[in-house]
Amino acid sequence: MHRSLAVVISVLVLTMTAVPASQAAEKVWSGLVIAENVTEPQPIPSELTRIEGSLKRFFGYNQFQVIGQSRKTLKTGQEDWLATSKFFGLHVDARGETQGGYVLNLKLYKEKELLLETDAKLSKRSPLVIKGPQVGGGQLLLVLVVQ
Amino acid sequence: MKTFEEKWTAWLDGQLSGRELSDFEAALPDKAAAQAEKAEAKKLGTLLKRELTAHPLKNEEFFSHQLREGIVQGRGGQRRERARRSPTSNWWTVPRLLWAGTASLAIFLICTVLVMRQQRPAEESQYLTQILNARVDPVVSPNATVSIFEVKQDRVTVLWTEGLQSLPADYAAK
Repeated sequence: MHRSLAVVISVLVLTMTAVPASQAAEKVWSGLVIAENVTEPQPIPSELTRIEGSLKRFFGYNQFQVIGQSRKTLKTGQEDWLATSKFFGLHVDARGETQGGYVLNLKLYKEKELLLETDAKLSKRSPLVIKGPQVGGGQLLLVLVVQ
Repeated sequence: MKTFEEKWTAWLDGQLSGRELSDFEAALPDKAAAQAEKAEAKKLGTLLKRELTAHPLKNEEFFSHQLREGIVQGRGGQRRERARRSPTSNWWTVPRLLWAGTASLAIFLICTVLVMRQQRPAEESQYLTQILNARVDPVVSPNATVSIFEVKQDRVTVLWTEGLQSLPADYAAK
């Protein structure tokens, strides 16, 4: 009787401690994406598969190519990182973890010129898409996804 | 066949007769002492009969007796009532336990429903990514505007900018 009680309590304690541990280490994928309309579109990158329908519906392009990306594992929720392409840079500064997500400060640079800055509360279940400047016949998009 | 003790008791009570009486008296070793003992037993019997007879109660005694019984019964009843109401009494009987369990469960369910109702809007807001603020460099893009869309169906939040400076296709390089 006492043994089974001890086993049940141990399992409960392990479960309760394991859940925050698994939540603590999450990856945020940040990508610089060029959206274009082409005659023979390339398959969409795996990171964007989840939101392919929304991207096509919202922006009206048929091809999405990643020109720069970063995959950062968040442990404290206070990290910062950079996703860069040849001309653009997306600086992400995590400013703490909230219930269900992270507070982020995002800065989009064109070379050294700041084009756009935003603060967002990125949900673990909800990707963020930012429409950037027009680039040639396409559009620069910034995408952040908690994986 | 009667024993000597049985015959002795019957002789003291005067229940022996005829040949049985004469045989028993002949068998007595000291008839005079036996007769004296028989007389003593008779005296004792008479005394006991007289003293142990219940006296009929007079009217005053009867009412007094009835009153005392009433008081005693009343005290007993009060004591039982007090014991029934007392918190130190055996409160956790099975029916009361059942009632207490059911009531606790009902209160728990009500609280759970209330808490869940209060938390639902908060959960929905945590469900989608939120844009807290957005700024565009007014020098580089003086006519730029910013809008926010939440596609709840796809769980996507979009920060929509208009009027940013357009760039040549070379900027799409990796």
